[in-house]
Amino acid sequence: MTVFQIFLLSVLSLGTATVLLLAWRRSMPRFAAAVIVAVLTGGIVFSVKPDLTTAIAHRLGIARGTDLLLYILVLAVLYGFIAIYLKLRRVRRELTLLVREIAIREAVRNDEDASKRARGES
Amino acid sequence: MSSVPSRSEIAPLPGGVRIAPEVARGTWVVIPVYNEARAVRAVIRGLREHFPNVVCIDDGSADGTWEVLRAEAPHALRHFVNRGQGAALQTGTAYALRHGAERIAHFDADGQHRVEDLARMATLVADGSCDIALGDRFRGETAGIPTGRRLLLRTAVLFHRVTSGIDLNDVHNGLRVLSRSAADRIELTADRMAHASEIIDLIARSGLRVAQVPVTIHYTDYSKAKGQSWTAGFRIIFHYLVGKVLG
Repeated sequence: MTVFQIFLLSVLSLGTATVLLLAWRRSMPRFAAAVIVAVLTGGIVFSVKPDLTTAIAHRLGIARGTDLLLYILVLAVLYGFIAIYLKLRRVRRELTLLVREIAIREAVRNDEDASKRARGES
Repeated sequence: MSSVPSRSEIAPLPGGVRIAPEVARGTWVVIPVYNEARAVRAVIRGLREHFPNVVCIDDGSADGTWEVLRAEAPHALRHFVNRGQGAALQTGTAYALRHGAERIAHFDADGQHRVEDLARMATLVADGSCDIALGDRFRGETAGIPTGRRLLLRTAVLFHRVTSGIDLNDVHNGLRVLSRSAADRIELTADRMAHASEIIDLIARSGLRVAQVPVTIHYTDYSKAKGQSWTAGFRIIFHYLVGKVLG
């Protein structure tokens, strides 16, 4: 086992343990925890047996295991970007509604009605 | 406290344009203001002689705009963070509608629009000739429009002919008057500059009656420097299309 494999294994195991703990304490949704643990476990298996990726890649018609991992990574990153973009849009929209409401509530009036009120007329 | 003219004091407009006091009173003029401390004072003063209900929205300016608005504008509102022109228009519109506005006018803060054009457009909407009046600078006698700007605006018109199937002369003119019911039906969700396209889309979908009114735009060096560039145009198209797809 190489130094890098040991490093990777400890990081992935630590991550898995953390997610399991969070799920156990119910501070993370079960489904999300299951997905993350599955991905991390896959990572552990692949770091112990790197040749496995190549075997799977061949079955899918891809030449090398590293290419398979690269494609999965690209898809995951793309998904992440889109998810974050949609979330950001929603947050921007909500911020606008908040800023709008504050602006309307704290409007300063210098118009005729306001000066009438200031003079004590109705 | 600045003085605002009462109903009987509404001043005559240049060019013999007349507007009935009740039409002027029911027309709430919404002005989004972003870093226009230099220009906006004169714009407000020119307007409020004729239109008592002027709503200015400071869109998170950093140049003392808010101090000017607080002192000069009949209604001064403030976005404490910048949210873009479309968002500011919607804020002013929501405020005016809550206060019983019969019509909503959009007016630019940089002094490029004329009050008499607004008065003619407000009168058209008020007498029921149309639901929305759009300023049209290409039929007006717009002086000093730069060639690049003209080409850009023409391109925008073509773009809308394709995406909305609507044939308008001047889709990105900031001078508009909407009836209360038309303004009620438009909720500008594009925070930035794509709101002009949203309005055009709404018109295309809703079957509201539109009048294109020839107006004069003053192209000063100041307003030219503030206008939209070609790169901004492409950014606007991107935001508009994303908004169309994602809703």
